[in-house]
Amino acid sequence: MTKQQFIHVDADATVKPMPQTSDLVSGTIDGREVAVPWGTTLLEAAASIGTVIPTLCHHPALPPDGNCRLCLVEVDSRLAASCLFPLRRSGFSVSTESPKVFEARAFVLKLLLSRAPNDEYLKELAVKYEAAPDPRLGDLADGCVRCGRCVRACQATGTEAISLVGRSQERQVTGPFFEPPAQCVGCLACAKVCPTGYIVFSEERTSRSIWGRDFEMVLCPICGEPVGSLQELARAGAAEELCPACRRRAMASALVSGPGLSL
Amino acid sequence: MSTFDEQDLEQILRSRPAEPRQLLPLLQDIQARFRHLPKEALLATAERLSLPPARVFAAACFYRAFSLTPKGERLVAVCQGTACHLRGGQAVTESLEKRLGLKIGQTSADGRYGLESVNCLGACALAPVATVDGVVHGHLTPDAAAELI
Repeated sequence: MTKQQFIHVDADATVKPMPQTSDLVSGTIDGREVAVPWGTTLLEAAASIGTVIPTLCHHPALPPDGNCRLCLVEVDSRLAASCLFPLRRSGFSVSTESPKVFEARAFVLKLLLSRAPNDEYLKELAVKYEAAPDPRLGDLADGCVRCGRCVRACQATGTEAISLVGRSQERQVTGPFFEPPAQCVGCLACAKVCPTGYIVFSEERTSRSIWGRDFEMVLCPICGEPVGSLQELARAGAAEELCPACRRRAMASALVSGPGLSL
Repeated sequence: MSTFDEQDLEQILRSRPAEPRQLLPLLQDIQARFRHLPKEALLATAERLSLPPARVFAAACFYRAFSLTPKGERLVAVCQGTACHLRGGQAVTESLEKRLGLKIGQTSADGRYGLESVNCLGACALAPVATVDGVVHGHLTPDAAAELI
């Protein structure tokens, strides 16, 4: 095996310094002037002036993925996914509701509706954009729009028990080998970020089930309320844990009666 | 040989540095050795490269070059590209299916033959084409295709 050769290019002294995030870039969104820090995404820039762009796969706590295409807007007469589009130059001209955007979004909705025709949010948008599931696509309605929010949430926790597997229409969210994922800690992060409620779980005081696996719950030693699954807390490095309410109470009483916080 | 052998797997895994970027090369080596990616091998690869099994499994399912079930000893791939289709690729496909007693995507019960489709081999001037173990056969007729086996 030969070692791969890498070419190192020395920095050109005349190259402009990287813009600082404090530098502002300005342009217009739907004709309104906007100035935002360099690198702000178009979606964030629009939100900063109160312009709502519909999103589905976007979640503020997760890295953007741009796969649902609902947030398409027209930037200098080209379509771009606003959640992934960093503003790095002044003079941009963005239209979030042009006829081109309307048409593109209606098409995207048609595809998303084929997967999740009963989703309230999508149904609402479908009315606005006059979109309906396309019967030619066949019956794909399983409730999952393959946005991968669950996978990104699972990655963000460092677990990465599930992934999007396969291609085209066969693509699906699953554990390795289409089996209940052994790495899952039962934290429910995937289910909580799922925009369509496709990921189901059941929960009782002492147990929780998700992805075909059962988890034992850790109960608060003071009030007995469930705090989290055993594996989830072990992963977080907290085998025994008070529930949030009892922890606040314990901290408050320590502040009142003790010499000071020892936490 | 397509049977799983732990020592062979160990040898393959140790042939490359334990870095995440070696995932696809390792999967290619394993596919070449066992003609599929056994579950044990995927789990061992994940462990060796310190990658989550979910990511290894997703990679294994993404590429058509990889298979989770054993592929035939002799692989027959028939082109379904536009040029081949126009020049009788469908009849060639049917002839091969009949000759092998297999449908596209299937492997014979004894594991000797596998039949699959490819979307274009880039040999459109030779249409319709098929490959047997990577060797390209062009200008096929249904009869000529059956004689390849």
